[in-house]
Amino acid sequence: MSQRKKKGEFIVERNYVDDQRIIEPEKLEIGGVDMSGRWGLLVLPRTIEDFDHSLHAMVKNHPRGRNIDRCWQCGNCTAACPVAEENPLFNPRYLIYIIKLGYKLEIEKFGNYVYFCGSCGRCSEVCPKDVDPSGVMEAIGTALRRKP
Amino acid sequence: MRRRDMSEIHPVLVIGGGPAGLKASADLAELGYDVVLVEKLGQLGGAPIRWGYKTLAPELRPTEEVMGPLIEYVEGNGNVRVMKNSVVEGATGGLGDFTVTVRNLMNGATESLKASAIIVATGFEHFDAKVDPRYGYGRNPDVIGIHELEGMLKEGRVVKRNGDPPKRIAFIFCVGSRDKSTNLWCCTVCCGVSIKQAIELKHLLKDADIYMIYMDIRTFGLWEKLYWKSMEEYGINYIRGRVGEIYAIGDKLLVKGEDTLVRGPFEVLFDMVVLAVGMEPGSGTAQVARALNLKVNEFGFLEPRHPNIHHDSGRDGIYLAGACVAPMSVEEALAEGSAAAMQVAKALRRLQRAVVK
Ligand SMILES: Cc1cc2nc3c(=O)[nH]c(=O)nc-3n(C[C@H](O)[C@H](O)[C@H](O)COP(=O)(O)OP(=O)(O)OC[C@H]3O[C@@H](n4cnc5c(N)ncnc54)[C@H](O)[C@@H]3O)c2cc1C
Ligand code: SF4
Ligand code: SF4
Repeated sequence: MSQRKKKGEFIVERNYVDDQRIIEPEKLEIGGVDMSGRWGLLVLPRTIEDFDHSLHAMVKNHPRGRNIDRCWQCGNCTAACPVAEENPLFNPRYLIYIIKLGYKLEIEKFGNYVYFCGSCGRCSEVCPKDVDPSGVMEAIGTALRRKP
Repeated sequence: MRRRDMSEIHPVLVIGGGPAGLKASADLAELGYDVVLVEKLGQLGGAPIRWGYKTLAPELRPTEEVMGPLIEYVEGNGNVRVMKNSVVEGATGGLGDFTVTVRNLMNGATESLKASAIIVATGFEHFDAKVDPRYGYGRNPDVIGIHELEGMLKEGRVVKRNGDPPKRIAFIFCVGSRDKSTNLWCCTVCCGVSIKQAIELKHLLKDADIYMIYMDIRTFGLWEKLYWKSMEEYGINYIRGRVGEIYAIGDKLLVKGEDTLVRGPFEVLFDMVVLAVGMEPGSGTAQVARALNLKVNEFGFLEPRHPNIHHDSGRDGIYLAGACVAPMSVEEALAEGSAAAMQVAKALRRLQRAVVK
């Protein structure tokens, strides 16, 4: 078996596939035949299949997260955020969206970025709908830690 | 020399008994003019009555508050002759002296009438969602249009075909609107109407999860309040994207689309899908355009002489009002009815002033 450098290295256009969706068994034997390596590789679809509102409910119950439902995704918060400017993977608007709609796959992928928030509160100053996104970041962080 | 009195003025012909035509008739009757109101269907009230809207956006006030007194006044006031199940087949002459043929659609009889002026208020028809096959409308009974949901809400019973209350409901915006393969224009009210219905559904089915799948939310003017309220007070969810296909799986509907805010396709099961169908000029407006030789625009709506002045049809003595000119709300249709009545009153006053030998 060849030495693997990177998960799913055989995939053409590898950049388009997230690590979390690649299943690559160390050893795969089917009917006595060794199918390890590229034969056993499985790429899961990235289709959103369901909504999970459990985190959303926790955020709404948090004293600083209760206005999350006001958010209409204008992106003013992200535009004002000094952290997002440095690291585009941290995006307060987006975090609010995936929590609100309960997109499990996306939360798995991006949820932990919430801890990049510096709590400077600039987003909350510019939010036109009084969501207090800074508070919502805190509430999301708490909900993610507490989620069973 | 004397002024002509009212009795020498022929009645005003109003075509279409929806909000716009009713308001025009009521205003003219109140000013003392005789009116003949010709309505294609067997009842007055236009779309709000025909489809049984329970309440009106944006404040969710009962439709009867607006339509009830209007219909009562028009039917009870001695100045309006209401001709139901009838259409106008043609008109000759001009301001002050039209000769009009009205056909009764039930028995085929025609009648020739004199009219001093004509107001056209033939309104709109709903886009037929069967035309756009991606939604499975007509094939799956749990895919319904907003006009059908209005009636269910009014009855206070919203259930799936199998009798169960729906738990997860999707509204799909802009069906038959803003789309090159169907109609290019925006119907202007269906965002607000869908949101109004979602709120009413929440009152009826407390545990229902409601998802609004939209391209843009166009709750213009004060209707914006509805949009905010639906998110803040009712927890209605908004997904930005379009739906490409709907499949039936068992007694559920698999809705396939793309959420453009997460850059990802979705395939989610719903119990019921409500299509926010748009507005079209419809066959009624086409019929009247042919009969009166009126100009229509590229979309089939009646084309006023000037795009910003709806009431002027470009033909002397013929005035336009309401959704036959462009998609609009009830409040706008009422205002246009009044505006057309005012133009008629002005024109007839000029005639009355004319010297009679
Ligand atoms: C599902 C739905 C819900 C809506 N809810 C709201 C709401 O909550 N609030 C709001 O402000 N607006 C609402 N609207 C918009 C509202 O229905 C229209 O603004 C209004 O009906 C327009 O009035 P109208 O008189 O111009 O036309 P219509 O209501 O369409 O009336 C036209 C009348 O003319 C008749 N007619 C047509 N052709 C002929 C002919 N050739 N000869 C004789 N008669 C003819 C028709 O039978 C009809 O009675 C809704 C629309 C939809 C699609
Ligand atoms: S509080 Fe957090 S999310 Fe808001 S601007 Fe500051 S770092 Fe960004
Ligand atoms: S600024 Fe406020 S409303 Fe806009 S996306 Fe951020 S949290 Fe939502």
